[in-house]
Amino acid sequence: MNKNNQNSSRPALSNYVFRPEFSSLLILIVMFTITAILQENFFTLKSIVRNINAFAPLILLAMGAAVVIISGGIDLSAGSALSLFTCVLTTVMKKSDPITGVYAILVTLAVAILVGVVNGFGIGYLRIPPVIVTFATSYIWLGIGLFLRPTPGGESVEWFRIFYNPGMIEGIHPYIKQFGRVIPPALILILAACLIWFIVSKTRIGRHIYAVGSNSESAYASGINTAKVQMQACIINSIFIFLAALFFVGQNQSGDARMGDPLTLRAIASAIVGGVAISGGKGSVYFALVGALILNFVNKIIFFADISTAYQTLVSGLIVIIAIAAPVAYTLYSKE
Amino acid sequence: MIVLEAIGIKKNFGGVVALSNANLRCYQGRITGLLGANGSGKSTMSKIICGVYQADGGEIKYKGRTVRYRSPSEARKDGIAMVFQNLSLVADLTVWQNIVLGKEESNGIFLNNDSAKELSRKILAQLLPDLDINKKVSQLNPGEMQIVEIAKAISQNPQLLILDEPTAALEQAQVKNLFDCMRALAKEGVAMIFTSHRLWEVMEICDDVTIFRNGENVATIDFEKDEKDPEKIISYITGDTQKTKVEKKHVAVTDETILSIKNLNYGKSLKNVSFDLKKGEILGIGGLAGQGQLELMHALAGAFHSLHCDAELRGKKIKLNRPLNAIKEGIVFVPGDKQLEGLFLKRSVLFNMIFPKMGLPGHPSFIPYDEYRRECEEIVEVLSIKTPTVDVPVENLSGGNQQKVVVGKWLPFDINVLLLADPAKGIDVGAKRDLYQYIVNQVQEKNTSVILYASDNEELVEYCDRVLIMYEGQIVASLEGGDINQDTIIACSMRLR
Repeated sequence: MNKNNQNSSRPALSNYVFRPEFSSLLILIVMFTITAILQENFFTLKSIVRNINAFAPLILLAMGAAVVIISGGIDLSAGSALSLFTCVLTTVMKKSDPITGVYAILVTLAVAILVGVVNGFGIGYLRIPPVIVTFATSYIWLGIGLFLRPTPGGESVEWFRIFYNPGMIEGIHPYIKQFGRVIPPALILILAACLIWFIVSKTRIGRHIYAVGSNSESAYASGINTAKVQMQACIINSIFIFLAALFFVGQNQSGDARMGDPLTLRAIASAIVGGVAISGGKGSVYFALVGALILNFVNKIIFFADISTAYQTLVSGLIVIIAIAAPVAYTLYSKE
Repeated sequence: MIVLEAIGIKKNFGGVVALSNANLRCYQGRITGLLGANGSGKSTMSKIICGVYQADGGEIKYKGRTVRYRSPSEARKDGIAMVFQNLSLVADLTVWQNIVLGKEESNGIFLNNDSAKELSRKILAQLLPDLDINKKVSQLNPGEMQIVEIAKAISQNPQLLILDEPTAALEQAQVKNLFDCMRALAKEGVAMIFTSHRLWEVMEICDDVTIFRNGENVATIDFEKDEKDPEKIISYITGDTQKTKVEKKHVAVTDETILSIKNLNYGKSLKNVSFDLKKGEILGIGGLAGQGQLELMHALAGAFHSLHCDAELRGKKIKLNRPLNAIKEGIVFVPGDKQLEGLFLKRSVLFNMIFPKMGLPGHPSFIPYDEYRRECEEIVEVLSIKTPTVDVPVENLSGGNQQKVVVGKWLPFDINVLLLADPAKGIDVGAKRDLYQYIVNQVQEKNTSVILYASDNEELVEYCDRVLIMYEGQIVASLEGGDINQDTIIACSMRLR
């Protein structure tokens, strides 16, 4: 009781401590420390660059998932959309002609916006529950992906590696090669996503995404076009997925219509572990990044702790549950 | 000058006729009152004017031209703003973000937050200067939310302002601020439509009233020409000339203490609350809004798991930290926010009525539906709940009948203490009379004890044997007999005495 009273007299501190995001940050620090202890060369430059590259796709998808969840929706088609984008990229690109790389980026960006529009149209204008819409569209994206690329493969222009590791491109200036070893392009993609959301969150669209997710009837009564807002959230999500697709093609130099599937639910889980409320309207897109890091570190810890493969999924599931339950227990305790 | 004229408006929802032939006129700089029972079509009328619903027939003329709005934003562009009964606020945004919601200003691409905050501060300075505009709406109490809602509508600089029951959640000082604000707006030439179930408010603030019954306007009274006769207005609302007061014989309260509460503490909202409840007594809980009255009712109903309190029922120690414990001891709760706490809106009347029984230990695994249906039909009969069958979803019933279902579901129980948290909130004069008539009967026939929290002091004055006044989570005064009147209650609430 007394402790509580003291906290309330210092609102600046309690505002942070009582936010559900705060506990996810604590968990991340714990995970980070455990990983650093288990992995011997954790703090070497090479390892850091490698980790950022490994974490990037889930981070980008988690941020996208957070935008959609905050707007009151959910996206079960994120993984299939990611796969589709890699297929489109590798279909438009011809290895012999470097300029096709630019065409591919533009065409895929258009496809990404279209994917967002279709999801948003179903959710916002047709008012079909988001779970149903995106579950259905996930098969549509998969179908189109398989049509373009029945088996994994395809061509990619050489310079596309710039999205993964510029150091691997032949005949490039040595300075740029060195640069790629220090600052991985994956980090630039993540920063781009953060910047996009930073701009959006300072505009009317960002405010309205929170309003619609929190209470769409109230938002409608306030004169907000809720369907449009839901569509905008879907498009932003799609653009984040598009950034992840650029990274994948840069890394693998090929497209695969099925590669993204496992990421769908992991992205949603990351957003929730990061403190985004599944009911919408609450949470931070940046903390979805924290959630994605936690999920990635879970995998690393299990790998380095020499846990038998038979138990790996079990342990990772338990850690995720603790990560989600901790903030709930924390808020219950702090209310007391 | 006529600002708005609605002629022969019709509106059906499914098979239910909400408006059959409704007419309304609003004048520049005048406040028009809308009166009527629940389900008489006042709210529907307001929502059609501001574009939330579209009329099935009839014509609306706004400033001389026929309009037909398809959404609230279209109406808003023409200068029509509405204060909604079911608030249009977004809980996860702050006060100032809500006030500018839907009409945010931007400089370039980014939002201009400074101008939004300044505008919010300016408007709230008239209504509730103490309110922190950086608070999230979810942290506000119902009265504060209502004021933010009003501020939001005023911030649009409307020419026609519709206030749909803005005072239901407000305490009297706040109502006074609101009325001052409305008078100032009227001077600026704003036309207003005002609805309220509290007759005295309508008579105080309105220049004329239009009374609705069963989807039609049955009378218009201009207070400048016609006399203000509350009895006449009530008879227009209910459609009968029956007496509106509940008969209450003053039976001497017994000396037997049924419930004794000592040192009840809960967090920051309740401090050292102690009182004794006599058998057959109606104990009122009063005070300004949000001084812990609702928390006290919830605490007695067993809603707080970590409650510290010494409670005795008929001299036997009981624990009040689970709703089931309270129900088993015959302490039952009728919440004011019936849609949130008291009902499963989408389920049938029958389901709602039998639900409390199913949680009791020893309830048969297979539900004896035939028996329950008979019992439920009896209760519907006793409380004269207006419903075609008991299988109708509760959400199709009007507000007053919904509240009767909440009360009715406890009827089969052996009630020791009946907790009523603002039971008449948002229900009309007729339903209110039925409800209190029933409660008074219960007390007189079965010697049930009642704890009544009411935000309307009139209800406390009329029905209570004793009134406890709460202030900042403590009981600061206990009024009995002749002390129970409006003036004393208000004076004690504001700690003037």
